[in-house]
Amino acid sequence: MAGFKPVNPPKQMERQPNKVLWNLVFGLILFVVGLGLYKSSQSIDYSWRWERLPEYILYKSDNVVRAQFDGTVSITADNTVILTDDFDANNIQQVTEFQSSLVYDGDLVFEGDPLTSTVAWKAGPLLDGLVMTLKLSMVALVFALLLGSLTGLARVSPNPALKNLAIVYIELVRGTPLLVQIFIIYFFIGTVLNLDRFTAGATALAVFTGAYIAEIIRAGIESINKGQMEAARSLGMDYNASMRYIILPQAFKRVLPPLAGQFINLIKDSSLVSVIAITDLTKAGREVISVTFSPFEVWFTVALMYLVLTGLLSFLVTRLEKKYALHG
Amino acid sequence: MSFVCISDFCKRFATHTVFENISCEIKQGEFITLLGPSGCGKSTLLRCIAGLTTVDHGTLTVNGEDITNQIARLRGIAMVFQSYALFPNMSVYDNVAFGLKMQKIPKAQREPRVREILEMVELESYHNRYPQQLSGGQCQRVALARSLVVRPRILLLDEPLSALDARIRKNLRDQIRRIQQELKLTTIFVTHDQEEALTLSDRILLMNDGQIVQTGTAEEIYTEPASAFVAGFIGNYNLLDRQQARQVLGLDISHQLAIRPESIYVRESGRDYGGKDLIPASGIVTGHNLLGNVIRYHLDITGVPVIVDLLNRSSERLFTRGSELDLLFNRDEIREVS
Repeated sequence: MAGFKPVNPPKQMERQPNKVLWNLVFGLILFVVGLGLYKSSQSIDYSWRWERLPEYILYKSDNVVRAQFDGTVSITADNTVILTDDFDANNIQQVTEFQSSLVYDGDLVFEGDPLTSTVAWKAGPLLDGLVMTLKLSMVALVFALLLGSLTGLARVSPNPALKNLAIVYIELVRGTPLLVQIFIIYFFIGTVLNLDRFTAGATALAVFTGAYIAEIIRAGIESINKGQMEAARSLGMDYNASMRYIILPQAFKRVLPPLAGQFINLIKDSSLVSVIAITDLTKAGREVISVTFSPFEVWFTVALMYLVLTGLLSFLVTRLEKKYALHG
Repeated sequence: MSFVCISDFCKRFATHTVFENISCEIKQGEFITLLGPSGCGKSTLLRCIAGLTTVDHGTLTVNGEDITNQIARLRGIAMVFQSYALFPNMSVYDNVAFGLKMQKIPKAQREPRVREILEMVELESYHNRYPQQLSGGQCQRVALARSLVVRPRILLLDEPLSALDARIRKNLRDQIRRIQQELKLTTIFVTHDQEEALTLSDRILLMNDGQIVQTGTAEEIYTEPASAFVAGFIGNYNLLDRQQARQVLGLDISHQLAIRPESIYVRESGRDYGGKDLIPASGIVTGHNLLGNVIRYHLDITGVPVIVDLLNRSSERLFTRGSELDLLFNRDEIREVS
């Protein structure tokens, strides 16, 4: 570097900020914002009833087995409740698996009387919705990744047919709203091919996300130095082999962070499928509101549940990034 | 017939002509240097030979076989790049073994070949490292090994030393030459550095502006420049135009004179100049640069700036600014160039 002259005198070593102080400031800001939220929620005419929400996520259901006819109860040594018809000894009702018996040996019971009870945890509508969102997102993610990778490769291909097809697909999908795409796929394509709601919803999400993934993959491939492809070719590899062994492994590492962002978007976008009556987390939230009349609590909870999903995904991708970060 | 025969190569990008009418023949086992300033088309020519770029016109034959339109993979020509272009996701061993893997050579035969080549470039103990754990010089040696292991018919080197520092550059330069001679490998080396070209090559093709301007051995090119461009590029020639030549040397010429700065003597009393045809002149020292073993004096001869290189024998002999020197120009060393 002949002729290089430092414009500024060499800097002193950068002073480190006082970590304790600034962490305190961070905590204080969070506290003030939280306090503000709390105060403003107090100032509106709304009665918060958080206590009503948990049962819509998980609840204890009491599964009671009732007598099918009048009869006499006998309880055996291996803890089986047997009800015998008083008038017909062949007519018996047996209950084997239960938590607690509500009758005693020799009891006379009438039709409809409770015999045993089993208490178990059951998923409420919000958790059911979360599971549906997760299922929908995962199915869509797998297909979006497949579709996006193929389209991305086609996009950088020297073959004009592949390249132009990829461009048309990407532009069509990126240029129209997801909501419209969901309607078209469900009402038009779904009617033609007789698709159920879930398939239509997952397809719409996969097609939409695939276009974005294709662009991410393309950018990743193009970010790899051209010399890599040339070196591979001069070592006796053809285009496909160079792509597969040299370019893609390097590109994969680089696209992980934007890919993670796209996956998170996919999970959030899946909330739109509620318009074709798939009971995902968002639709479940709306249903719970119509029962509880507690919109604020429900939406906060729904938001939190989405956060759990996306946070988990973020965490997984970060782990993956670290795993591949070592070389190149 | 020569091993490699390039005839009438032309390459254009849109309206810009990169090179034109390039023809040359290369013997088997010859070390050829394509020397020229940046942008003269030498790298593009190399890439055309490698098959990474197509030529618009002309033919390339290797060993009598026309490979002008052959794809890169099947040419049997390996290339080393200035930027190394090592595969960052593979270890040194895998980088080198890769070409063999692609040729579907079984592992048992692959391993001794990789080991042998790594030994040749003195990197056998680094086989587990990754490219980013190596220095620039080591990277370039891996790149060299990677190209050599596939036993190419021709080795192309595209400014392989330009990104390295001076000491490593010299080491690697010697190493490249040694390996090339060991393997008797036909090699084309591209550089803009005249010192590299002069020390390495069997023959130099000097390029300028898409043309080969002179071909010859290092000695021929250095001592007998065919044009003012060659004289200016290859050494630190003093170039005198018609008027300056008459002023300084009293010579009547039609174009320009090229005089190497080390061919000018400073008259020493009592020295016998062996009956050489000498032209005397006197000049005033205007400054000097110490180049290590050589001191380069800047002189003023009747208003014409001339440089004179003298061996740096001892500091007592240093001529200070303003001292007047009696110079002798050897008529045999004065070249007229167009």
